[in-house]
Amino acid sequence: MFRHLRTLQQVSRRTLSSSARRQLENKVPVKQKLFQEDNGMPVHLKGGTTDALLYRATMALTVFGCGYVLYALIDAALPKKKD
Amino acid sequence: MAHQAHAYHMVDPSPWPLTGAIAALLMTSGLAIWFHFHSTMLMTLGLVLTLLTMYQWWRDIIREGTFQGHHTPPVQKGLRYGMILFITSEVFFFLGFFWAFYHSSLAPTPELGGCWPPTGIIPLDPFEVPLLNTAVLLASGVTVTWAHHSIMEGERKQTIQSLALTILLGFYFTALQAMEYYEAPFTIADGVYGSTFFVATGFHGLHVIIGSTFLAVCLLRQIQYHFTSEHHFGFEAAAWYWHFVDVVWLFLYVSIYWWGS
Repeated sequence: MFRHLRTLQQVSRRTLSSSARRQLENKVPVKQKLFQEDNGMPVHLKGGTTDALLYRATMALTVFGCGYVLYALIDAALPKKKD
Repeated sequence: MAHQAHAYHMVDPSPWPLTGAIAALLMTSGLAIWFHFHSTMLMTLGLVLTLLTMYQWWRDIIREGTFQGHHTPPVQKGLRYGMILFITSEVFFFLGFFWAFYHSSLAPTPELGGCWPPTGIIPLDPFEVPLLNTAVLLASGVTVTWAHHSIMEGERKQTIQSLALTILLGFYFTALQAMEYYEAPFTIADGVYGSTFFVATGFHGLHVIIGSTFLAVCLLRQIQYHFTSEHHFGFEAAAWYWHFVDVVWLFLYVSIYWWGS
């Protein structure tokens, strides 16, 4: 993302600079080929390993959160014995 | 490979509606746990899950539209209806807070001194920072329209410049409002004046931040060549949302800042 912000800076300033700067290439055709590949993968995993890692992390947090919220709510609902 | 005989989009099964629903549960229960037991872990977890869900769900929509070509004209029409209905629901959301404001301010009770602003309240001068904020948002409405015309005319550099300017104006508004909040001589706890002022302008400020973020995502997508001169609905949706935020501010300015002072 920061690379894109840097490129934003470069693209906006291009008319003021006399030296040639690297332009961001159009990678859309590459992405189109990747995501249209007939490999049976659902769109949320079709990007590769990073997708799977992010999905697993999200699902792990979801399952943990589910369990924790049930524990927290049941614990809050039960009367506490005062010592 | 099976091909469909229609122009509609049958989406792949996705886990994000489930993770989003659990995230909402965690955020709301977490809020209650925070209020009663001073622990923020559940709420924070809910927030993190919400952000993860939003990132991955919208990433997938970009993949389906820009990379897989699923956003045919009928599909795009559905997306347009969807965005319009969503903005309409937000209009009703704000309508409630305006109702509350007018309910209290049109017939001020004896407890307030029978006047509006209530006794003891020093309202903000509508012709100082609030007027500047109005100019900033109106200008940003112009720059976002400039960006749209630039996209339609295939002017890549101009699109990037005008969109970036729009986002900067949004940040400027937010910074000015934050400063106003800090310097204000009244707080949210100052009776019904404080409540109506800060809840209405506070939710508006949140929507400015959301709108700025939406536009920033569009800027990144524009830099990455996602938009064409004919097909750029993501940007149009962001621009509609931004105009909505601008209009809400105009109503806030005239009602609360100006008439209400």
